[in-house]
Amino acid sequence: MGETKKLSRRNFIQAAIWGIGGLIGIGFGVPAVAYVVGPSLKNQQTQTWMRLGPTSKVELGTPTLFTFTVQTQTGWIVNIEEKSVYILSTDGRSYIAMSNICTHLACHIRWIAEQSQFFCPCHNGVFDISGNVVAGPPPRPLNRYDVKVEEDQLFVLVGG
Amino acid sequence: MLSKLNHWLDERTSWRQVWETIFLRKIPKVNWFYTLGSASLFVAVNQAITGILLTLYYVPTPDHAYDSVQYITTQVPLGWLIRGLHHWGASLMIVLVVLHMLRVILFGAYKFPREVTWFTGVILLLVVIGFGFTGYLLPWDQKAYWATTVGTQIAGAPPLIGVYLLRIIRGGTEISAVTLVRFFGTHVWVLPALLFLLIGFHLYLVIRNGISAMPKRGK
Repeated sequence: MGETKKLSRRNFIQAAIWGIGGLIGIGFGVPAVAYVVGPSLKNQQTQTWMRLGPTSKVELGTPTLFTFTVQTQTGWIVNIEEKSVYILSTDGRSYIAMSNICTHLACHIRWIAEQSQFFCPCHNGVFDISGNVVAGPPPRPLNRYDVKVEEDQLFVLVGG
Repeated sequence: MLSKLNHWLDERTSWRQVWETIFLRKIPKVNWFYTLGSASLFVAVNQAITGILLTLYYVPTPDHAYDSVQYITTQVPLGWLIRGLHHWGASLMIVLVVLHMLRVILFGAYKFPREVTWFTGVILLLVVIGFGFTGYLLPWDQKAYWATTVGTQIAGAPPLIGVYLLRIIRGGTEISAVTLVRFFGTHVWVLPALLFLLIGFHLYLVIRNGISAMPKRGK
């Protein structure tokens, strides 16, 4: 009887050591996994309306270049990026916003007023006034941003 | 199935014998003060795990050190916990190893045949203090900067060699990027290597010589 009691005490201690050890292991393991993968799962892109300026700056029938700065954060480093967008309006009421980034290899395109076309200097990509591909290697039309007008100020939706 | 696998492995590695030597060895009747060494080992393992995790985000340069620590504390999920464990573990480590040393002194456990265990323990104490000193600079905040200014200044106190010691520790005359990165390198490479080797030797000796019994009155 005494012998079996002694054995069960030993077994109990043994089980307790393994149990507590396992809990400590989980206590380190679970936070470690969360800590390591956390920033990878974080969705850092958020959509915001960027103010470009007054609608009066837009020349009717001509794409007008607006610049704005976007602040992005990677880890603890804040990057300030300057972006440009062409705003086109034919009637002064509806506006379209086109990216000035070529859809081929991301060079900056320019509006050539004499030819009424966008031209990309890298590989001679050509787009028409509303951003459709006219010639050259670009695979698709220029990207567009959502635009809104509030109190005569132009806004574009960036990010996301 | 599992016992079969254990047997297969034991035939080739003798792991059972190793297990028994380490965990099922005979010990004299002791009290809770004898667990201070194990407690120190536990906290050392905690420091290693949390320390490795911290290096995943920490950057040891003056323009990133502070911000990366803030990022860990405020942005990374449970980063506050990992940093907190490392921070408080560091203080606890010093307390535990000093208490462990006091127990060895007061119980006379440093005597023959355990002198070498004591010697390695003394070096281990210095390594732990080195960890504390180098780690203190790494958050690169005002407290870290000025504590290290004062701490390194002490190395400049001895006559003749003091000036050179100070320069070697700081990597120049001022506390700079050079100081930060050499403290970091010492903290994560040099000292851990030393700690690992010394703990291995220390534990080998503890098992080789067995632990000392409690001293008896009048002996």
